[in-house]
Amino acid sequence: MNVRDLHDMPHDAEPPGADILAGEYVLGVLDAAQRAEVEQRIARDPGFARLVSQWENRLAPLLDSLGTEAVPAHLWPRIRTSLGWPSVGATPRAWQRTGFWQGMTALAAVVALVAVLARRDVVPVAPVAPPVAVTPTTPAEPEQATRPVTPLLHDDGSPGWLASVDKAHGKVLMVPVPAPADAAGRAPELWLIPAGGAPRSLGLVSINRAHTVAVPDMLRDALVNGSVLAITLEPSGGAPQGIPTGPVIAKGDIANL
Amino acid sequence: MPELDTADTGASRRLDELLVQVATGDRQAFESVYQLASGRLFAICLHILRDRGDAEDVLQDAFVTVWHKAAQFDRAKASAMTWLSTLARNRAIDRLRAAPPRPLDDLSVAEEIPDFAPQPAQAAEHASDRERLDDCLDTLEPRRRSLIRLAFLDGASYDELARRIGAPLGSVKSWIRRGLGQLRVCLER
Repeated sequence: MNVRDLHDMPHDAEPPGADILAGEYVLGVLDAAQRAEVEQRIARDPGFARLVSQWENRLAPLLDSLGTEAVPAHLWPRIRTSLGWPSVGATPRAWQRTGFWQGMTALAAVVALVAVLARRDVVPVAPVAPPVAVTPTTPAEPEQATRPVTPLLHDDGSPGWLASVDKAHGKVLMVPVPAPADAAGRAPELWLIPAGGAPRSLGLVSINRAHTVAVPDMLRDALVNGSVLAITLEPSGGAPQGIPTGPVIAKGDIANL
Repeated sequence: MPELDTADTGASRRLDELLVQVATGDRQAFESVYQLASGRLFAICLHILRDRGDAEDVLQDAFVTVWHKAAQFDRAKASAMTWLSTLARNRAIDRLRAAPPRPLDDLSVAEEIPDFAPQPAQAAEHASDRERLDDCLDTLEPRRRSLIRLAFLDGASYDELARRIGAPLGSVKSWIRRGLGQLRVCLER
């Protein structure tokens, strides 16, 4: 028996070399304590980290055999919440993707609101209409009895604004579905686009308050069926050259005038 | 199948670019990464943890980490899908190790270990890498091959593997280490 025999241990009882250890770590066979040790070594030993990364690339194709699994819908909102992001995104894109049903509920609410607002200066035509609908604070105007409502819809079909066009007086009542302001500080601008014509600005509109927009005399002729009302996001002072520069976030066709 | 490969490379490159954008704080890119990768990452977590609630927790945790650490992604070192899968898989294994050992009857010992089935284009990373790994695994003796697949896909520890196949721990370690060594030699050939 010599010294050499003492060292002649079975191969597998020896600690594995760095490359095999890296392979064991990536394979996932180590226990919690060993994993923690290996992770510390990855952090301080770039050569070892490279071995680990090579094993990750070698073995990753095995994961193809697992395919994909449907992720429950509640997980994305949970992730947003844990990142501290608003549950309904403040970015314009997320804003456009407001849920369809949420949008439809808001639409119903806005339609009701428009009905109330419109009643303030509309003479009831139905004989059974309650006379209290006419409020004395509003000066009586000789107007048409009803006005069509044009919904300006986001790409996903949810309403952004309702526009009630009063052609006779050159006014458009704009009622927004309240939404977060654009994260980039841009403001919504309303455009009237005659069929086949260029967009003409009707000015900035509010994202949370109903208000009337005056239509310049020269544009009144464009308040006809077939024209389009559209909203773009523009610099806070409005589109600089009177030409839209930002993305269209909502639009609707004027009809039933 | 060159067409499939081209499609793969395109999708894979797009995911790489999105993940690079996430590092700049682009929330839209992050949402796209989630849409493109979450299904695959969820499958990985679920396979390891075998519990939907646990897998959801880990997936959530993994994506929060992706948002904060996307800058560590280096496309020269790995594809985005590999980086994401590795991150999620490591989280799932850490969670598994933190829990008490699974009772054996929860794990089917005679479980069919999935072989490579033809995968749709979007699931495949690089078909050629996969074929090469498959070819090299095929050169291993069946026991080593099975153990390596089982360990990697289930995240099973040496202890668990030994219990599952009813073999001594030392033997399992030996088989896997030798298998890994052979695999590397073959893949570098």
